[in-house]
Amino acid sequence: MDATDRLVMPRAGWSTPQRVRALRIGIVVTILVAWEAVAASGLLFRDVVPSLVAIGRALGRLLTDAAFYWNLGVTGAEIGGAVLIGGVSGLAVGLALGANRFLARAYEPFIYYLGPTPKIIFFPIMIMWFGVGSGSKVAMGALSCFFPIAISAAAGMREIDRVLIRVGTSFRASPWQMVTKIYLPALRRPLVNGIRLGLGIAIIGTLLAETKLSNRGIGYLIIQSYSTFDMPKMYALLIVLFVLAIGANALIGRFAGADTSSLDRGRPR
Amino acid sequence: MSARLGASRAAAALTGFGTLVAILVLVEALIRGGAINRFIVPLPSQVLVAIPRIIAEENVLHRLWETAREALWASVLIAVVGIALGILLYRFRLLRSATETWVAALASAPIVLMYPLFLVVFGRSAATIIAIGFVAGLPPVILKTLEGLVGARQVLIDVGRSFKLTDRQMFWKILLPAALPSIFVGLRLGLIFALINIVGVEFLINFGGLGQLINDLAERYDLPATYGAICFVILVSIVFFIVMERIERWMRPID
Amino acid sequence: MTETAVRDATSASGALLSVEHIVKRFTTPEGVLTALDDVSLTVAPGEFVSVIGPSGCGKSTLFNIMGGLVGDYEGRVSVGGETIAGTHPAIGMVFQEESAFPWRTVIQNVAFPLEIAGVAKSERLSRAQHFVGLVGLDGFERRLPAELSGGMRQRVAIARTLASTPSILLMDEPFAALDEQTRLLLGDKVLQIQQQLRQTTLLITHNITEAVQLSDRVLVMTYRPGKLKRIVDIDLPRPRTSEVVGSDAFGHYVARIWSDLREEASRGIREEERRALGEGEPR
Repeated sequence: MDATDRLVMPRAGWSTPQRVRALRIGIVVTILVAWEAVAASGLLFRDVVPSLVAIGRALGRLLTDAAFYWNLGVTGAEIGGAVLIGGVSGLAVGLALGANRFLARAYEPFIYYLGPTPKIIFFPIMIMWFGVGSGSKVAMGALSCFFPIAISAAAGMREIDRVLIRVGTSFRASPWQMVTKIYLPALRRPLVNGIRLGLGIAIIGTLLAETKLSNRGIGYLIIQSYSTFDMPKMYALLIVLFVLAIGANALIGRFAGADTSSLDRGRPR
Repeated sequence: MSARLGASRAAAALTGFGTLVAILVLVEALIRGGAINRFIVPLPSQVLVAIPRIIAEENVLHRLWETAREALWASVLIAVVGIALGILLYRFRLLRSATETWVAALASAPIVLMYPLFLVVFGRSAATIIAIGFVAGLPPVILKTLEGLVGARQVLIDVGRSFKLTDRQMFWKILLPAALPSIFVGLRLGLIFALINIVGVEFLINFGGLGQLINDLAERYDLPATYGAICFVILVSIVFFIVMERIERWMRPID
Repeated sequence: MTETAVRDATSASGALLSVEHIVKRFTTPEGVLTALDDVSLTVAPGEFVSVIGPSGCGKSTLFNIMGGLVGDYEGRVSVGGETIAGTHPAIGMVFQEESAFPWRTVIQNVAFPLEIAGVAKSERLSRAQHFVGLVGLDGFERRLPAELSGGMRQRVAIARTLASTPSILLMDEPFAALDEQTRLLLGDKVLQIQQQLRQTTLLITHNITEAVQLSDRVLVMTYRPGKLKRIVDIDLPRPRTSEVVGSDAFGHYVARIWSDLREEASRGIREEERRALGEGEPR
């Protein structure tokens, strides 16, 4: 009964979703208008705030430039490689640590305390080991995302309700059946979240490495636009980058969300 | 029972450290034996020796202070702006509904990749570094402040209403104290994010304290010193993180 | 042993708290829910009244309405003749959930209403001390709630509400989270305090033993829509202690109330089942 004590009558006028949308549009419009005003006024020097038209034009040029897509492909491949290597090793290590308490006590502190450190400072070593090409970038990305994925995997493994494992054992499930029918379904949500986090961090690690030392990739393009002082192009690149990064995150989120909501529907009342 | 637990914990710690030492010894042997190129991977023993040398020669204390100063500035800004925005979003429900997902998206966005932009605006200076630290550490503070305020238990708010508290009293005497544990978690997260980005950007733009140290040594092709510097910075980072944890644990009983 | 059928209680002119013809409806996705259907009651000064009913009878809703936390209802609630609109300083509330402020010590918690009223620090601490002693928490003034047991934390909440010297004390199942023995002993404490202070009290509970042990009158509610089913005058001698729980008269009261309650509780269960079956149907 307590939940219903706080029911509120709906307000007259616009419904809440409408008002939210209106406010969002309002905020975006205000920012764009303020931006254009600053750009036109010449308040900030050196074309730091280019007009929206200039940015739009640069964006158009970018999206129709074959070289851009080639560089995007390079970066994409590097990120893919990074997530693959960092993800698989992180998963393997994390699951092992989550499963075995002794191993966890022995080795998890290393991962836990090395996690919140800036990995980009390892870049000089990566260059020495893997060269100045894509290899060092993939290595950088993999090193960055290994840690959060390992930590999530370990935590996810530990959070599996012990009861579920006992149920499987009591039905004499084979190890393969245990993995596919009990562990994997139970791990789905923490694993997806870990990969989401890992992807974000791999993107950062790989791209930062590209900005430091590279002659291809999106990071390289960004630094190039900095050194040639092509500000509209830099903004265009950053916009594309953020849209892709946030979009990828949202996509995975929806994929994970769809999965778990279907789980709820199946549950008996 | 607890004696056995203590013993197994000690055994685990020993195994952990033991493995690390064993790997270092193995690497040392492989390099001396020529299996690993010593111009790519220096002898661990040399790296170990390089660390005190770096501390003595490279003005490490000053560099530490540089980084700490940047972090301090970023933290103050993060705390003031973050908590204020968190309170704002709590107070104005419509604004919260409109922008909360944006802030969450910002928290996971690769903000540090905007550093070339900040370079243009602020130049190769501490301001760029502090600005990146600020932007990187802001979202968790906003979100945790909001979470703490929204999550204040309904019964505590009811107590306030039953004593006919004014809005102002309600906020200062009930909502804010109830939100404080969450706010501290947010500040800790924000500080850590800020620091990671600060050291990273120091390295990238070759300016500042610890990050720049690594750059300097890398450019000198002093292999053991480069490895040593990286180890040193990682060590400082770990110590800092542990200290933060201790502080938070010490504050927990208030919860 | 006397029983009184439900009557229009507003005629009792000496009433401190007067609840008149309260009707409360909620709009839910499933339609309009009538939580309370014409509930009226009075509490005389110094009286201890319990309201008992099955889950879903609306007693917590009634508590929130009487305390002024919930509006939008038909009927009227008045304290000392004055109709309330929102929370009222003369009404003290003790909630079911733990409500001691975790960040304040025991004495700071109890001094809270005095602090709000602007009483000077030394004065309010000494006044609060009196109430801390009253609930038996002497020596624990400087402890934080996290260091206390659940029962002690509820005592802090009670002391805090008493420190605001309310004309009427409303309590919503304050001992719900405690085990039976702690309940009985705390009930003793509450009884002691109530008799000492002559505090007008209304207790919401689902525990019959507690209701009979503490009250002068027990009001039994029906299952939703909540109405007053029966008023039982408890003629057990005062002053009382928890020993009275063992007496014959006590047992008779409990039995009487239980038969009413059981009828309503079974109705409630049948309703819930019917609703659950109805929801499960489309597959």
